[in-house]
Amino acid sequence: MTMEWVSGYGLQLIFGAVTTLSVALVALVVGTVLGISLGTAKIYGAKPLRYSAEAYTAVVRGVPDLIVIYLIYFGGTVALTKLTGEYVDINGFAAGVAALAFIFAAYAGDIFRGAIGQVPRGQTEAAHALGLSRRAAFFRIILPQAWRLALPGFGNLAIILIKQTSLISVIGLEELLRTSSVISGATRQPFLVYFVAAILYLIITSVVSWGFRNAGIRSNRGFA
Amino acid sequence: MSVRAMESGSSEGGTVVMSAVTKRFGSFAALKGIGLSVDRGEKIVICGPSGSGKSTLIRCINRIEKHDGGSIVVEGCLLDHRLTNIEKVRREVGMVFQSFNLFPHMTVLANCMLAPMLVRGLKAAEAEEVAISYLRRVRIADQAAKYPSQLSGGQQQRVAIARAMCMKPKIMLLDEPTSALDPEMVKEVLNTMIELAGDGMTMICVTHEMGFARQVADRVIFMDDGTIVEEGTPEQFFRQPKTQRARDFLSQVLH
Amino acid sequence: MLDFSIMADALPKLLKGAGMTGRLSILILLLGMMLAVPLAYARNAKSVWLHGPASIYILVIRGIPSLLQVFIVYYGLGQFGFVRNSVLWPIFRDPFWCVIIALGLNSAAYTAEIVAGALRQVPKGLVEAAQALGLSWLQTQRKVTIPLAVRAALPAYENEIILTIKATSLASTITLLDLTGAARLEVSNTFAPYEVFLTAGAIYFSITTSLSWLLRRLEVRLSADHRNEERSVKEFQPVLPGVPDH
Repeated sequence: MTMEWVSGYGLQLIFGAVTTLSVALVALVVGTVLGISLGTAKIYGAKPLRYSAEAYTAVVRGVPDLIVIYLIYFGGTVALTKLTGEYVDINGFAAGVAALAFIFAAYAGDIFRGAIGQVPRGQTEAAHALGLSRRAAFFRIILPQAWRLALPGFGNLAIILIKQTSLISVIGLEELLRTSSVISGATRQPFLVYFVAAILYLIITSVVSWGFRNAGIRSNRGFA
Repeated sequence: MSVRAMESGSSEGGTVVMSAVTKRFGSFAALKGIGLSVDRGEKIVICGPSGSGKSTLIRCINRIEKHDGGSIVVEGCLLDHRLTNIEKVRREVGMVFQSFNLFPHMTVLANCMLAPMLVRGLKAAEAEEVAISYLRRVRIADQAAKYPSQLSGGQQQRVAIARAMCMKPKIMLLDEPTSALDPEMVKEVLNTMIELAGDGMTMICVTHEMGFARQVADRVIFMDDGTIVEEGTPEQFFRQPKTQRARDFLSQVLH
Repeated sequence: MLDFSIMADALPKLLKGAGMTGRLSILILLLGMMLAVPLAYARNAKSVWLHGPASIYILVIRGIPSLLQVFIVYYGLGQFGFVRNSVLWPIFRDPFWCVIIALGLNSAAYTAEIVAGALRQVPKGLVEAAQALGLSWLQTQRKVTIPLAVRAALPAYENEIILTIKATSLASTITLLDLTGAARLEVSNTFAPYEVFLTAGAIYFSITTSLSWLLRRLEVRLSADHRNEERSVKEFQPVLPGVPDH
């Protein structure tokens, strides 16, 4: 029993945790890029763009994450099947990353929008007065300062994202929760298995939130 | 036309030419038909009560503020919606703000190197050399590695002047550069500005520092209610203001 | 394109699911609030024996996915003989009550954080003034602290309500036919995911949007005295998502 845990199930859980982290990391990167675009569109965009960005956020905020995941997974399957003419089973990893990134972006967009809005106007003016292009002013002056203001909210979102990866288990991706369910079926010790999984999640989220707090302290240099 | 302007040989009518410039903020008319021509090398001090439109006026010169009507020509470039013209003008026009607006996430040195590298295309080493030389001139080179928040207000404003100078602008705009400073720091910044004026650069400065105006200005412009009410040499303006509004204003600032 | 007849067929079944979603949400929020208030007072207490356990509880709940919490209650507890033999077994065997317990305990942690923060926001000077007037601790709480804290907590609690409604969709993973569960069942019958999930999404969206509109109006009415400044602040600082997940 102990040997089994160390050699087999324990290792499986670790693999599950690695998958969880991979999904979260890829979704984080994609979602951040989307989120910055969304936030930028909401501030600087022309009216149609701005309204579409607002509508997007409102819809994602108003609908459970599971519905978004199902829509992308099953919807994607149907679309691809129609497109190619034969049954295509969509990749759970890809569907999961896409769904989580879309959800992440909706919230991250508002965090970035708020942070960009908090950077004093004089900063943009000074950048323009020095002759910097709009692009350079945004990427060199506004974004680095907004980033610092967005970091705490962004850290919260990253923790939430890690927990949300558990929802991907419903479409069959063998991440930490799904792996735990499989093992608890085999061992008939669901409480024990889920308890171990909970500790793994707790370790991951604690380390990540500690990391973000440290990053926050470091990014505050220059801001007495 | 001032003596210096004649020496520099400009005959095309001025480095900044504004005619019939208007600007509204909603229902408030900030500028009501401004006409102003500034010669190369001229030092102009703009004063007037708050809300008179003086800041708006100089912010229009590098299009930090968009004017609604009339025309502004800077260094032969018509300022309109065209981005290329705006960028051209901004390369030649430096600006110092009331609230410094140093970039808080960059060191003093990086603040000064940024625009020469990005806009003028200087290499890091060249930009650093330029930055250090101007920081030395404003006597703050020893603080180059610090962040703006570690400096006093007066030091920050001197850095801001150095940062603008690093672009070697032909025209310098100063928007109330001393009014956000504690009284004991005003002097160090004024001295830096006086030195700057000695370089022969065109300067347009919004300020209530009448001592500075007397010592440096070729022309004093008095604004009220979005218009230029009166202009003249400091001598004329301080000795015999022509309008009652100017007299009222002077009695308040000079007390 | 979309087949509207499928949507029309699905609608009554989905609405029935929405009823289940509503019942779950109300019971979860009630349980959460009941536990959150003592938890919040414990969190703010000076004694380590009070704020220590409360802080750890909140930290643990917030550190693990709520779906895992649902699984622990529904699948996990049944592993123990003493649970299966206890009088409570009918409750722990029933997915409906398991979801309410799991998500209620979860909501309690988030709500406690909101309440504790709101209690801390009440200016110390006001409490001291009340005590100087001779009010007892309980009277001070009732007349000064709680009314002020309720106002401070409202915006965040509105968010919590919306999040709880969305979180009830997890019930579908343990066989309950809430709105999401009903949608899944309907998809497996029709294999028309777009039509069914979009309809379900639209129902969720109308519930959450109209509810948050109503709550916003309630909030404005409750804080009528200083609402102008609050509104203007809100406009310039878009509401950040506190805790969008459960």
